[in-house]
Amino acid sequence: MVDFIKKIIFIAIMAGGLYLTYFSVNNLERIYIETSSVFIKFGVILIFIFTIFIIIRYLMLMFFSILQTIRRSADEDFYLSKKDIVTIIVPCYNEQDVIVPSLKSSIAQTYPNLEIIVVDDGSSDRTYELAKMFEFDDGHRSLKVLSKVNGGKSRALNFGIQKAKGNLICCVDADSKLDKFAVELLVQHFKNPEIAAVAGSVSVVNTDTFLTKLQALEYIQGLNMVKNGQAFLKLVNIIPGPLGMFRKEALEKVGYYSHDTFAEDCDLTLSLIAEGYKIDFEPDAVAHTEAPEDLLDLLKQRYRWTRGILQAIKKNKKYLWHVRSKPSISFVMWYMLFESVFWPFMQIWGDLFMIYLALSTGTSQLLLFWWIMFTVLDIAGAIYCLLITKEKLSLAAYSTIYRLAFITVINIAKIFATIEEWFNIEMGWGKLERKGRIG
Amino acid sequence: MNLLSFLSFLILAITLLTMVFGVIAYFLYKAREKKKGAAKITYEEALELEKREHLFFSKE
Repeated sequence: MVDFIKKIIFIAIMAGGLYLTYFSVNNLERIYIETSSVFIKFGVILIFIFTIFIIIRYLMLMFFSILQTIRRSADEDFYLSKKDIVTIIVPCYNEQDVIVPSLKSSIAQTYPNLEIIVVDDGSSDRTYELAKMFEFDDGHRSLKVLSKVNGGKSRALNFGIQKAKGNLICCVDADSKLDKFAVELLVQHFKNPEIAAVAGSVSVVNTDTFLTKLQALEYIQGLNMVKNGQAFLKLVNIIPGPLGMFRKEALEKVGYYSHDTFAEDCDLTLSLIAEGYKIDFEPDAVAHTEAPEDLLDLLKQRYRWTRGILQAIKKNKKYLWHVRSKPSISFVMWYMLFESVFWPFMQIWGDLFMIYLALSTGTSQLLLFWWIMFTVLDIAGAIYCLLITKEKLSLAAYSTIYRLAFITVINIAKIFATIEEWFNIEMGWGKLERKGRIG
Repeated sequence: MNLLSFLSFLILAITLLTMVFGVIAYFLYKAREKKKGAAKITYEEALELEKREHLFFSKE
């Protein structure tokens, strides 16, 4: 009965969203007809195109996500080949606060044939010493700690992959903790020989502040609507750092992780898709990670992600035009360009245009309708995701602030990052300070 | 003032404030990173930058 009521609320919100969208578009049309200013007419057309794109994006992702969920529940085959040896690679650099719970969660995996390789990337703290305490080898499972001179995450991962015995490589972040069935769930996707990699799900552990609650909502929506929708096409565009599994043979074919971008995971995924491989997503294989608790740390993370993704897009830009010869990679590249550049610019531009309209013509109601339209879409998306993940529905209430304040601040940082990337302004890795919340 | 106008004004004000806050937060982040970067320079890197044989520090 409760589920039925929740579904009715969801449908009512979706219907309300569609009505408000119609109302916003109607308002735009009225302003377009009434105004004689070319600038306002141009702005209205842009906003109209943007709104249509966003609605299509939301509906397509939600539709694909629903289909993917149906497909998953219909597929009852459980594949667990004991022949597959899985190597978990844990690259770490100054992770003394989080390495212990992270390694404990890797050791606790239910999958039988497991090799864990910790690659200490020249840490100056007690990371190596702490990891060394967990070394073991019982014939079927082992954990060893390797050390190398500091050279960055991608080099540490490649170093570990080259030493790995496993035919499946599971890359995890040292600041994340895995659910005990994570590896077992990821392995079953590799029964399909076309699958080169599977993305795991990421959940935020420290949801005790307002900022981290908003990030938790963002992760739940981003994973369950976006990644689940992409998984329907087997074209997940980023394997997240906290948890992803790869076929070693495919990694060898594309030349492992590259070192020339700040988003090595995104670059690698694009290389695999360009090679014709498929990328899947496993929502039940969860890695718990710590979200930045401080706004400036969050901006630092998003700045680095945006520039990294743009570097990966720039590096693979030739595929943008391979629409006929390589439609999968071309589609993924256009989608990423839309999400990382077009959307932030259009949203901030839309806000500025609406403010200009409000101040110059007094039609401030349009901004209200526009915000309500986005918020309703966000609430609908959040409710859908919270329903399928069985998380607390109360988190959906944060959607009202999510678009109005959170996404606007993030988008401003993304725009600055895009401008700086455009002008090739130097940037550093900027490791985030961890508070050790995953323990 | 009716409810719709009030809400419109509220959203307009919040949007404006958020945008200003977003820009300020971004520059605060850049300033913090610059400060951190400057503080993390090693003695050898400082020597290389200064192109000198020794660096002398004075106590304030």
